[in-house]
Amino acid sequence: MTGPLVEIENLRVAFRNDDGSWNDAVRGVSFSLGREKLGIVGESGSGKSLTGRSLLGVLPDYARISADRLRFDGIDLTTASPKLRRSLRGGRMGMILQDPKYSLNPVMNVGKQIIEAIRIGDRKLSGAEARRQAVTSLEAVQIRDPERVMGLYPHELSGGMGQRVMIAMMVVREPDLLIADEPTSALDVTVRTQVLSIMDELVTRRGMGLIFISHDLNLVSKFCDRVIVMYAGRIVETLDAKNLHAAQHPYTRGLLACLPSIDGSLEPLPTLTRDASWLEAAS
Amino acid sequence: MITVENLTVRFSGSTAVDTVSFTVAQGESFGLVGESGSGKSTILRTMVGLNRHWSGRIIINGMDARTTRQRDLARTAQMVFQDPYGSLHPRYTIGQQIAEPMLINGIADPVGRTAELLDLIGLGAKFQFRFPHELSGGQRQRVAIARALSLSPRILLLDEPTSALDVSIQAEILNLLNRLRRELGLTFVIVSHDLAVISYMCERLMVMRNAREVETLTREQLRASDVRDDYSRQLLAAS
Amino acid sequence: MTLLTEPAADPKAAIRAARWKEFRSFARRFFRNPLGVVGLFIVLVLIFVAAFAPWIATHDPYMPTLTARLAAPSAEWWFGADELGRDIYSRLVHGSRLTLLIVALVIVTSAPLGLIIGAVAGTRGGWIDAVFMRITDVFLAIPKLLLALAFVAALGPGIVNAALAITLTAWPPYARLARAEAMVVRNSDYVNAVRLAGASEFRIIVFHVIPMCLSSVIVRMTFDMAGIILTAAGLGFIGLGAQPPLPEWGAMISTGRKFIFDQWWVATVPGIAIFTVSLGFNLLGDALRDLLDPHLRQRK
Repeated sequence: MTGPLVEIENLRVAFRNDDGSWNDAVRGVSFSLGREKLGIVGESGSGKSLTGRSLLGVLPDYARISADRLRFDGIDLTTASPKLRRSLRGGRMGMILQDPKYSLNPVMNVGKQIIEAIRIGDRKLSGAEARRQAVTSLEAVQIRDPERVMGLYPHELSGGMGQRVMIAMMVVREPDLLIADEPTSALDVTVRTQVLSIMDELVTRRGMGLIFISHDLNLVSKFCDRVIVMYAGRIVETLDAKNLHAAQHPYTRGLLACLPSIDGSLEPLPTLTRDASWLEAAS
Repeated sequence: MITVENLTVRFSGSTAVDTVSFTVAQGESFGLVGESGSGKSTILRTMVGLNRHWSGRIIINGMDARTTRQRDLARTAQMVFQDPYGSLHPRYTIGQQIAEPMLINGIADPVGRTAELLDLIGLGAKFQFRFPHELSGGQRQRVAIARALSLSPRILLLDEPTSALDVSIQAEILNLLNRLRRELGLTFVIVSHDLAVISYMCERLMVMRNAREVETLTREQLRASDVRDDYSRQLLAAS
Repeated sequence: MTLLTEPAADPKAAIRAARWKEFRSFARRFFRNPLGVVGLFIVLVLIFVAAFAPWIATHDPYMPTLTARLAAPSAEWWFGADELGRDIYSRLVHGSRLTLLIVALVIVTSAPLGLIIGAVAGTRGGWIDAVFMRITDVFLAIPKLLLALAFVAALGPGIVNAALAITLTAWPPYARLARAEAMVVRNSDYVNAVRLAGASEFRIIVFHVIPMCLSSVIVRMTFDMAGIILTAAGLGFIGLGAQPPLPEWGAMISTGRKFIFDQWWVATVPGIAIFTVSLGFNLLGDALRDLLDPHLRQRK
């Protein structure tokens, strides 16, 4: 496999205003992704989630989307048929959302949903074999009693458990690309670390590409190889995660500085003064 | 200022708060930390009278919360809620919402005081004719704080006041709260899942888990990682 | 903008300006829906015709002209004449007043009644809720037209009695609707905030819960108007609504029934009127629901 897994050039997403004009939510985003862990960080309204969703093709139908180039493993997504995009979503791309409650089918037990996901990927598989794989996948996300969890319904799962089931479900399809949109922000801190390390292990072992979308700069820099910082629909800075604290852009630096820390100073926290020039900065 | 003794809250079958006790001195800022379901928000809601079924004793500024009328309590303790998108009425302007508690309690010149409050929390009087949907999350939370201050309470109960906000906005709101506490001599009880926020805001804190107290620490103990319980240590390590 | 920078000048005017701004944005979204505009147009025409009926009509609606009995539509009798030689067009125009009167009577009685009962039940909960809602269930269990029939039969036919009868059957859906909304609103933080300020339950229900129920009640009301017109026409048709010689549309169809094969216009024209007006209210209701229903509001 040669070339990057994902190539995005000049991606724009716009929504209609009340008065009929268009409001750009993503304004010319370009980046490419190999088999690596890429973080996209920004505050609410920065367009980070929309970027992930455009790649998957799951934007609401009233959004206007355009791009000079939107490719996944050499496939041009701007011209791909809805059918092809659907099959890509089912097999080669996966998404993990913030709240597993909305992504799991509430009237089907966990086991059935995972087995269904496996059999969509490989229709020749026997029922017993699919079931065995489902159990293995739950074990892989460190669920202790997978046989019991298979019989549970989504509302019977705790937040951390639900998110692990979501990850298991996405990973059994062995996608090439996983997009995780705030996968841990609904979780308690002690569970968060666990879920992240499971995700990290799976992604690394299977050589997937990962796009990790989050508002939490520190978390992302610990977890990813590379970090893109977005502000008002544009990329303001791309950094190696290791060099996060050497960030140049005042926005990135401001984001890092305004966080309180357990042993930090008790002086008033530095706040972010937003500069109009950030809106126009070249991406 | 605040004494809570053996507070127990039960919801149909499950125990949300299990024999929790703590005291908060005048002018102090006290934190309640814990993960979801640990019962910390329930304690706040019970203190201001939003839960009916509880046992134990709650004394706020010398008044027994069980026997005091809501109106008398209202002028002593007010609450700021977690979700700024759900805590403002969508059909009323900002000014009307801040003035409402003053109208209910017959306070003189609610219009003038609304403008003052809006200045105090850093939005300015011109915001009083806006509707909530025209404001950002941080601005809404400021409005919620102004509304809570409209009856000049001495105690502010803050339920995850910044967890729905972006980090840069969180810094602004935390700075605002600290300034208000200093200027108005307020007593705070802050609920949060974020140890860093609590360490920044509070002099003392209680760690909670599964409806129970784990331990109570001072800020210095927290900062020196001087904790006795394994769970607190785990929480500290994860933050 | 000047109003926003000088708040102390006149707060009432500024609030009015803020509300006007809200309304304009609402109107802009409404006019993006062509069917809704058609519905609004039909309803406005109906109101206009009712308001200026004496000037719009070409004849006296009650004056028989024996020579023109069952006359076909012509330049003199635009929609023909009925069996007593009265101008159908003029009767139709005057009949719009009766239609609007019944609709208005029913709406101003049933919607507030249902709204209050539902809001109180939903906010208070407990035994009040149980009692109010069981009463509502009883009324919902009886077929609409049957209850109205029994009521009119007991009180005697007539427009006001017909309206009262329809009211009796029209309020329970409002109560249900308002209760469902109130149950969500009563636990919201903005209601908790005023509760903490010491607001009485009365104040909470009137100023904080009811405004939140209003939008769904208005939508339901618009849909209901079509139903009310049909029920009123139905009562008129079987002779229990408006009495002769009042030009009520349902009663007009009823008399035209006898001539439907030879003088089709006598029954058809009022039928078309009923159809058009019902359609107008339904289209308007649909458009309003798209804008106001919180469950359908996706776009800002």
